[in-house]
Amino acid sequence: MKTRPPKPQTMRDALYEAPGPRTRKRIALGTAVSAVLVLLGAAAVVWQFYVTGQLSARYWSFFLQWTTWRFLLQGLLGTVQVAATAGVIALVLGLLLMLGRTSGVRPLAAACRVVTDFFRGVPSLLLIYFFFLVVPQYGVKMPSFWMLTLPVALAASGVLAEVFRAGVNAVPRGQVEAAKSIGLSPARTMFKIVLPQAVRYVIPSLIAQLVVVVKDTTVAYVVSYPDLMQNARVLITRYDALVSMYLVVAVVYILINYAINRASVYVAHRTGVKIIR
Amino acid sequence: MQSATEKGTPVIELRHVEKHFGDLHVLRDVNLAVGRGEVLVVVGPSGSGKSTMCRTINRLETIDSGEILIEGEPLPQEGRELARMRAELGMVFQQFNLFAHMTVLDNVTLGPRDVLGVPREEAERQAMELLERVGVAEQAHKVPAQLSGGQQQRAAIARSLAMRPKAMMFDEPTSALDPEMINEVLDVMVELAREGMTMVVVTHEMSFARRVADRVVFMADGQIVEEGSPDEFFDHPRSQRARDFLDSIRGH
Amino acid sequence: MGLSELLSTFGQNYLDGLLATWSMTAVSFVLVMVLSVLVTVARVSPFAPLRAVGDLYVQVFRNIPGVALLIIIAYALPYLRVVLDWRTCVISATVLMATAFGSENFMSGINTIGVGQVEAARSLGLSFGQVLRRVVIPQALRSTVLPMTNLLIAVMLTTALGSQVPLSPPELTGVVDYVNSRATGGVLAFLVSAAGYLVTAFVISLVGNRIDRKVRILR
Repeated sequence: MKTRPPKPQTMRDALYEAPGPRTRKRIALGTAVSAVLVLLGAAAVVWQFYVTGQLSARYWSFFLQWTTWRFLLQGLLGTVQVAATAGVIALVLGLLLMLGRTSGVRPLAAACRVVTDFFRGVPSLLLIYFFFLVVPQYGVKMPSFWMLTLPVALAASGVLAEVFRAGVNAVPRGQVEAAKSIGLSPARTMFKIVLPQAVRYVIPSLIAQLVVVVKDTTVAYVVSYPDLMQNARVLITRYDALVSMYLVVAVVYILINYAINRASVYVAHRTGVKIIR
Repeated sequence: MQSATEKGTPVIELRHVEKHFGDLHVLRDVNLAVGRGEVLVVVGPSGSGKSTMCRTINRLETIDSGEILIEGEPLPQEGRELARMRAELGMVFQQFNLFAHMTVLDNVTLGPRDVLGVPREEAERQAMELLERVGVAEQAHKVPAQLSGGQQQRAAIARSLAMRPKAMMFDEPTSALDPEMINEVLDVMVELAREGMTMVVVTHEMSFARRVADRVVFMADGQIVEEGSPDEFFDHPRSQRARDFLDSIRGH
Repeated sequence: MGLSELLSTFGQNYLDGLLATWSMTAVSFVLVMVLSVLVTVARVSPFAPLRAVGDLYVQVFRNIPGVALLIIIAYALPYLRVVLDWRTCVISATVLMATAFGSENFMSGINTIGVGQVEAARSLGLSFGQVLRRVVIPQALRSTVLPMTNLLIAVMLTTALGSQVPLSPPELTGVVDYVNSRATGGVLAFLVSAAGYLVTAFVISLVGNRIDRKVRILR
């Protein structure tokens, strides 16, 4: 028989002790008051939409047409293509940067460290301007897909290099010592023993980083690449419905990223791994 | 044996206490009275509800029904009254629970300064005396993580004593300690018992129970199965469960 | 265009851009800290509706792309009769998003505190407010120094959103656009701005690490 109470899931609940009758009354009152305030706030927002005419059917009815969604989905496909390609590039590049940094070869390690810190330390928008404004000055003609994908990938690679490094550091020291003691070379130790375990540790974090990649793709309009956001802008001009369209698109992005985050938590839970940020 | 009735109103009294954790019936009709100056040792297999019972006394755990009285007054359920009552009852935890961000000295002065309103210098003087008494005065300006487990637990006892409590509860105070540190903590507790502190001690240390307890309470499956003087309990346990328990810890 | 020519022509623009980035970062971060506390208080309050709104806030604003949020604030809100100047739009978008992460940092700071710490404080007779003031908040704050340092850097990088609206003067990222529309700045035009971000981020993390080492809780 186990008599310990189920430990509270979070400190959020442990902050409060089991309420007495007076406290229970106060909580009930506070709950009621806050519920009213929340509802009033929501009503005020809806009211503002109403008085400014934004609830009018002409701003929303075209969402009932399949063609609207087909066009948005085409854009979403563009978003997915950029995000997936950038994700793969970032994964490879991040891994290489980490391997270089932990290689033990001084100049290589230093170089990889500088590159990693550079991509982590500048805004992805600045990288996009680099590919959009600077690269063409050197006579390089790039399709808009790559003008968007490369900067997004580079920005992510810096972060992923750090994620991989955290994963490598999370592998218990005993593993490396054991590998050495059976005579494995440092390179073999890394690839046969450390890396496979490190990757397992960081999979949830890698999934979570996909959110950042998806967010970064939304500046596609800078380079006129037809992603979800860019296609939404086209529809806005067609239907003259800016508010409703941007809100719907924002919700789509939020849901996608929410799903990615949930997937990350799910995988972490399944494999019993803590999410390294 | 000092029984509660001989010594007037018991300091701590539990009447018909019941508690569930979901489907588990963790306390079943628990009745207990602890007289002034009495040292009550609670033993029993793990999961018997002894820790839970100890924690109900200052309402770290709530109860479903029954009554808990402190010096004849019902244990308040909330607010200032509850805080005041808790200030008068010392509690020592298995995991020490010293405040990790404060020095040992600040740990000991926090209660007196913030709850009792003792001025800083006075509180620190008393704290140093107490730390001296439990033998960790040299560690006063370190943070808990720099101390050994035994030192932390002694500091935690000093923290409780600084509130000048009417009674002290010890919830398995040596269970998280390395074996070589158990005695330094038990010695402090023996000393306290000698000075007449009212104590409820949940423990697996049977030698301590035999040496110091005025009364031993044996719990199993949420019930008090039997109670008596240490000699009675250890040499002539009445119930089969107590005999099984004693056999198991003696390694038969 | 060499570095000296670039700086002699556009040096003032870069300086203005750096100051614009710094000032938006500073203003945003102060607001982020205040709002993060409020959102976190709502999320740990015993009132279910406030908790729900706080949790919803965090889910929405940690998942919305910055550009989408900025565009909504800058171009959609005026339709709802909420008109903000460009700088306020950029700061609002930055603050709204960073607050979600700031609140998450505070929540994980609270979650690192052991339940035993709170029980010990309660057992001494500390009131709920005293438990918060003397134990929960100090411990939570100390363990959030590093995450908040990283958040400050993230806030700075997020203010690059300013390049998407006509700020005057433009901030560091916008300056690259400004320079390139007037001259062929080449890679240097880009690197000067990058250096502004990198040096600032380096200083921030240096200070953050130093503070962290001072207040970190040994466990």
